[in-house]
Amino acid sequence: MKPPRISDERLIELNAVEKWFGPVKVLDKVDFHVHRGEVVVLIGPSGSGKTTLLRCINHLESVQAGQVRVNGALIGYRERRGKLVADRERDIAFQRREVGMVFQRFNLFPHMTALENITLAPLRLRGVPKAKAEEDARALLARVGLPDKADAYPAQLSGGQQQRVAIARALAMQPAVMLFDEPTSALDPEMVGEVLTVMQDLAKSGMTMVIVTHEMGFARQVSDRVVVMAEGRVVEAAAPDQLFANPQHPKTRALLSAVLH
Amino acid sequence: MHFDWTYFRDQLFTPSTAFLDGLFLTVLLAVSAEALGMILGLVVAFGRMSRNRALKWLAVGYIWVMRGTPLLVQIVFIYTGLAAAGILRFNDINVAGIVFPGSVQAGILALALHEAAYMAEVYRAGIGSVDIGQFEAAKALGLPPSMVMRYVIMPQALRVILLPIGNQFNIMLKNTTLVSVIGVSEMLLVTETINSATFRTFELYSVLALYFLALTTLWQLFLNWAERRLARSRVPQAAKQRPASDAQEAAA
Repeated sequence: MKPPRISDERLIELNAVEKWFGPVKVLDKVDFHVHRGEVVVLIGPSGSGKTTLLRCINHLESVQAGQVRVNGALIGYRERRGKLVADRERDIAFQRREVGMVFQRFNLFPHMTALENITLAPLRLRGVPKAKAEEDARALLARVGLPDKADAYPAQLSGGQQQRVAIARALAMQPAVMLFDEPTSALDPEMVGEVLTVMQDLAKSGMTMVIVTHEMGFARQVSDRVVVMAEGRVVEAAAPDQLFANPQHPKTRALLSAVLH
Repeated sequence: MHFDWTYFRDQLFTPSTAFLDGLFLTVLLAVSAEALGMILGLVVAFGRMSRNRALKWLAVGYIWVMRGTPLLVQIVFIYTGLAAAGILRFNDINVAGIVFPGSVQAGILALALHEAAYMAEVYRAGIGSVDIGQFEAAKALGLPPSMVMRYVIMPQALRVILLPIGNQFNIMLKNTTLVSVIGVSEMLLVTETINSATFRTFELYSVLALYFLALTTLWQLFLNWAERRLARSRVPQAAKQRPASDAQEAAA
């Protein structure tokens, strides 16, 4: 049973996606989809391809075979007379506006204040007037619990605070979906909670989210579906209660016993 | 030893109009060639980093040739060589009564083309010093490549390339003497002309050296000032690579 806030519409759809790094096959005919409003957590041992899968969704990685669609639109390629042709960078950039991304290492722009980090894209890409962009940015900072950090530079913020600014920065473009690549892995333990809380609020607000994480407790609490990857393949996908209580695939069992004990 | 102190002092403190014109031309050559070289260098750098193979190898070839052959040879090649081959002749241009000799145009162009090859590598090193995560975060926001460079990468690269740019202009100031060979009356050529009439080589070249030393010293003082200013505006960046907990302790 899926919660009513999740629509039947597939916001993200990957079909038979293949990806090599040199001779190494990191994604092996992966099928994957996310419904609008759904929160999907990707888990798997390191090297299983979960981060690569995430990065294919906004074309930070190109794919060698298969298709990636966001909101129905093919990402990174266009069909021309039945063939797939690589898009130009500028066209890919346009598509990326729909997809927000939060990185493991925050990647805030160090030469800009928190406010400038957040307003950059709305100002330059959406043509939002400066006053409006700043007002929205302050509202976002309040939403992530940092109303008084607008003028702080990234280096003046703790890791947890930086990651929350990074979330606000991604939200500023009002994306249809948010991708999180191990958002708490680079944080000191005492700062993990504040970031997860922000993400939980975001999930409650109905945002579509795809999250790569090792936080099993969080996955269990917040996600609608957990997708398990191993050796470049999706081996199992199920609602969290079902998956954690009764894992079907041996790889899932091995992973869970390694993580939970 | 014969050193005519009076002559030396007169040349140093009350130089001839011809020498002052030469000084002006030296500065004009250096500033315009550096400016042009910095712009061309940026184009070459982007070509060098392009995914387009033809562009990339064109840029690689350009850098290879311009850095691998003597500047003096390039200057003669561009001014005298091209004209002799009937490819390009630099004619004097008259702009509102001020004559801009063909030799000066060719001199600026040659110095700039040479500079561009070095600046391209300076830019490339600066851009390469910026963390890959910065490119990715900027791209993920949906910024097109031009904006990624302009708003995110170049401001960070600038901190790294300011020092080598300072070096490059210092070298440029001195390299202007080479265009004397195609008849540009900058400081060296003026000095040589005076020398051919007076044969006070030691005194005259001492004066010439001191004027160059003054120019490069002024430039260095400016750089020191700029570096201090930048250091002040960069306080927040100081803790950039430190783990967050350290940064917090430092702030406390």
